[in-house]
Amino acid sequence: MKHKIISDLESLLGRDKVISDPTIISLYSREPSGLTSNALAVVFPENTRDVSRLLSYAYRNDIKIYPQGSTTALSGSAIPSADGVVISFERMNRILNVSILDSTIDVEPGVRLGDLNIELTRYGYMFPIDPGSVSITTVGGAINSGAGGLRGARYGTMRDWVLGLTIVLPDEQGSVLRIGCKTTKCRQGYDLVRLIVGSEGTLAIVTEATLKITPLPESTVTALAFFPTLEDFFEAFRDIKSSRVQPMIMEFMDYETTILAKEASNVDINVEGHMFLVSIDCNVEAINRVESWIKDIMTKHNATRIYTAKSLEEAESRGLFTLRRSLFPAQVAMGSKLYPGRRIIVYLEDIAVPPSKLLEAIARIREISKSMGIKVSIGGHVGDGNLHPSTAFPIDDEQAKRRVAEWHNEVGKIALELGGTVSAEHGIGVLKKELLKLEMEKLGSEKALYLMREIKRAFDPKGILNPGKVV
Amino acid sequence: MKLSENIADWIIREASKCVYCGFCEPVCPTIYPGGHRGYGPRGRVNLAIAIINGARSTEIENAIYTCLLCGACSLVCPAKIDIVNVIRSVKLTISHPRKSS
Repeated sequence: MKHKIISDLESLLGRDKVISDPTIISLYSREPSGLTSNALAVVFPENTRDVSRLLSYAYRNDIKIYPQGSTTALSGSAIPSADGVVISFERMNRILNVSILDSTIDVEPGVRLGDLNIELTRYGYMFPIDPGSVSITTVGGAINSGAGGLRGARYGTMRDWVLGLTIVLPDEQGSVLRIGCKTTKCRQGYDLVRLIVGSEGTLAIVTEATLKITPLPESTVTALAFFPTLEDFFEAFRDIKSSRVQPMIMEFMDYETTILAKEASNVDINVEGHMFLVSIDCNVEAINRVESWIKDIMTKHNATRIYTAKSLEEAESRGLFTLRRSLFPAQVAMGSKLYPGRRIIVYLEDIAVPPSKLLEAIARIREISKSMGIKVSIGGHVGDGNLHPSTAFPIDDEQAKRRVAEWHNEVGKIALELGGTVSAEHGIGVLKKELLKLEMEKLGSEKALYLMREIKRAFDPKGILNPGKVV
Repeated sequence: MKLSENIADWIIREASKCVYCGFCEPVCPTIYPGGHRGYGPRGRVNLAIAIINGARSTEIENAIYTCLLCGACSLVCPAKIDIVNVIRSVKLTISHPRKSS
């Protein structure tokens, strides 16, 4: 059966678009979350027609299909099953059209967000969604995971930036649909575009997207400050959030994590407490006023050290973003220190709470982690209440894995108790299905899960598209 | 030449640090022309483990031998893997396989 499917795929798409080497397939069967699996084959479509033919074939032959971007998902949403076929979009990576007048860009799903921004910089524009993995995250992956990022408080998430999509349905014909518009204002009945955004590849395959773009800020003032206590940090945060400004970036890292980030990056910054990084965009005339205003707030709340920069270039050259960018290396380093010489999984949580509850959330996560014997590192995009507590465990230690799974549930419960959500930007995948149920139960909205399953059935009647994920 | 056991152990130990984040791929000059993940550092480092464990195929060897050893990936790897020397050593492993005992 396996040979027949591979042979069919080769006839359908061409031999050079199908990989059946099991070792190469294994590279498409693993996530940073630590989940691993297997698949029958990996295929590399080059256009919408390839995807349409593939989905039609899969529908007629009941073959499971698993779409993948760069597999940086952290929730299990990109993991295939042994009897499924992975569609990978490396070869659909063209930027099709940039329209400054329309403020849109048309792209294929395999374009990386980092590359998209390199292109847009030529025009003085940007695509503002910037997950921690922005250099490798693909447009298709970002759409399907509903990605957010550092600038979420100012620019929102993918659902705010996708105007239109070309999608392929898993049906008899592999139907190709164009949904949404090329304009920001668009009332096309029910909003199918926003249904696809965040659907984790379970409803349809995206083969082209029209995205909104926005001008690069004229100028940006950045402040990097360190606070002796969480309370001091939170008071500075509260003051800024309550001052009729909308910072582009508001990032937090706890003291322990900041030390690890300093070690990982070797940046010339004196780390003296919990880190708070704020960037505010403004016009050139306002730079000095904004800089002194933010410095005053940080000082008022006992910041032990404050670094400021009056442009992004200055902030970069002085390493003001380096600590934050070293969050993931710091989390990896924490795991390596805890379990020297062993193969580790860095487990990254993803919750959001109303920003007013951040202090409580951070304190409770630290407390619960301590009581469970879990070494935790906390960082997050605090401007929108999004926290990424992280820990690590050895891949071959079942007991540690179970303990981390329990911790993951407890962190999710803290988010719910504080009026937040169990998944801010990483998605549900397989790892958060139970927590999603809990969240909907807590809202008294279990029926929403029934509606989600019915929507899944309407798009994918045979359940062949990324089955077992989300609901 | 017979590869010492120590090199194989070192490759496994070093490559096993990979947390699969993929941060190395955007800086790799060979991943796009190669056409699949095996032609990038994340793929190659994990293929290295498979090779030490005995996996061989033309596709695996093509993926390993097309590495330019430019070292761009090592600069951005959060796990600080010595990718260049892992790949260099694995090239030797392929070209000078250990005799089976």
